[in-house]
Amino acid sequence: MAEICLAVAIAEIAIAALLLARLAAGPTVSDRIVALNTMSTQATLAVLFFSAFAGRTIYLDVALWLASFSYLGAIVWSRYLERGLL
Amino acid sequence: MREGIVIGLAAIGLAFSLSGVVGILRMPDVYCRIQCSSKTITMGALPVLIALVVAEGPVSPYGSRALLVAVLLLVLNPVASHALARAAYKAGVPMWAGAVTDEVAARAAGEGPAGNAPPHQARAADPGGQAPP
Repeated sequence: MAEICLAVAIAEIAIAALLLARLAAGPTVSDRIVALNTMSTQATLAVLFFSAFAGRTIYLDVALWLASFSYLGAIVWSRYLERGLL
Repeated sequence: MREGIVIGLAAIGLAFSLSGVVGILRMPDVYCRIQCSSKTITMGALPVLIALVVAEGPVSPYGSRALLVAVLLLVLNPVASHALARAAYKAGVPMWAGAVTDEVAARAAGEGPAGNAPPHQARAADPGGQAPP
């Protein structure tokens, strides 16, 4: 089972790495934020599966934190895009 | 048996995630990309999380955290996508040239400030949503 977890974690990271192209080439800031948001979701899953592979429950907190607060970044960015610095 | 279920669920989730990422890379404008990012990525994340629950059991530390992450994802991903789409529209990000209709602009043009028109009047003011040539 541990090998499956490691394979899924590596696959998620590889899928997220594809988004670096959109992050580099996105014509507007919104495109880049969408790419970053998706990358953070994939990173959450990768950390969860890596913690199951390594057998360290302390890594689960990292995944929970990422799932809870990575969206805060997207929301703050969209607020900035909508109304400017305030 | 159990490993087979885990591998199948993980494969389904990874396939959906890959198609979502391809959509984000290939879609023509930011609104289509937000659609890929919100729907397909959520659908790709859920089977993978269920695979972890099946692998470790729902009351193990890993399984319970996976369920928590699934709930957070289901609640927060649409919120973030909605905020992003709204901000992109208000910031004036242009739509794709082949976009069919813009209901917010039609409503704002028909009845003063956006959001004040009742739905039936806004629909009457809509020129019909023809595709541009």
